[in-house]
Amino acid sequence: MRFEEELVELLPRLRRFARGLARDASDADDLCQAAIERALKSQDQWQQGTRLDSWMYRITRNLWIDDRRAAGRRGIHTPIDEAATQVAGDGAAEVEAGTLRGDVDGAMARLPDEQREVVMLVLVEGYAYREAADILEVPIGTVTSRLARGRETLMHLLGEAA
Amino acid sequence: MSFDRATLAAFVDGELDDLTARRIEREAESDAALATEIARHRALRAQLTAHYDPVIDEAVPERLRALFATSDKVDASLAGRREAKRVRFAPIHWGAIAASLALGLALGLRPWMPPASVTEANGTIVAAGPLAAALDTQLASNQATNAAVRIGLSFEDKAGRYCRSFESRSLDGIGCRDGGRWHLERTLQGQTGTDYRQASSGELAAAAAAMMTGDPLDVAAEQQARDKGWARR
Repeated sequence: MRFEEELVELLPRLRRFARGLARDASDADDLCQAAIERALKSQDQWQQGTRLDSWMYRITRNLWIDDRRAAGRRGIHTPIDEAATQVAGDGAAEVEAGTLRGDVDGAMARLPDEQREVVMLVLVEGYAYREAADILEVPIGTVTSRLARGRETLMHLLGEAA
Repeated sequence: MSFDRATLAAFVDGELDDLTARRIEREAESDAALATEIARHRALRAQLTAHYDPVIDEAVPERLRALFATSDKVDASLAGRREAKRVRFAPIHWGAIAASLALGLALGLRPWMPPASVTEANGTIVAAGPLAAALDTQLASNQATNAAVRIGLSFEDKAGRYCRSFESRSLDGIGCRDGGRWHLERTLQGQTGTDYRQASSGELAAAAAAMMTGDPLDVAAEQQARDKGWARR
């Protein structure tokens, strides 16, 4: 299958992934657009025979991280980030369980970036730990520990009976 | 419960070998705490997918599709054709149709409504009534400024069909002539506001560019095609 055809077929999934990373639907499509432009420009860097989806997810995720870091340097820290620091990890226990019952967007926004991307890749996109580790270019143990923390926080915020 | 949380998570994520997975399943039958824990994990997964999966069924916005139309002639044509095929069945149609219903068009189910502009034939949406008439007869080169339906481009698609883009008060789109009917390949909700109209014209033009083979029909070719009933050449 041709590069562009395969890319077009990936778009619905890529939009889902971006929706989980970005703040809202419009930011998510901005992210997709940037990723597609990048991919089309660096088409020759994709090695035929390797998985285009992993490559594309990696591009998307890296662009998102760059953007988040740039925003952080400019001092644009949204209240969400403060909440994330508060809630992340052990701090989660301080927030009442089920505070965000039913509010998946709100709960996801409170996860630190590195947990949010793992949650999206494994729990929503359905990647195996190994594949998620390849996309993120981190060891598999990092994937499982981030996933565990993200999961706990989500279950806590969304309510035990989620 | 004799399994740690990591093992349990791996079980729910399908990461365990069959043997260990079966042991957990067996144990969960008699261990309520374990069963509850598994259910919690599954519920989270289900809640997340229920939240994000609908994105998959959304129509890909034109601005993302348009990136392919301009990047590379040959590849764009392939991508465009494939996408056009896919989009024909995409939910955007039903969304736009639902919107146009709300705006006063009907699917031919309501006799008290004005003549329907769209109807359904063999699972695809085709033009009817005044829209079909406009697509049949109206020439882009010669239309009243206040025409209810405005024809944009007429062109041949890769399958050799004649296609025409149109804008109207409640529905914009591209119709392609096939089997004596205008199949609506792309639809957008029409609107009267000028800003929106310009944006949607751009989207339609991009969609048309991705579908067409060669150049749009000129005045003479458009008239000739009309006079021959839009039959394929």
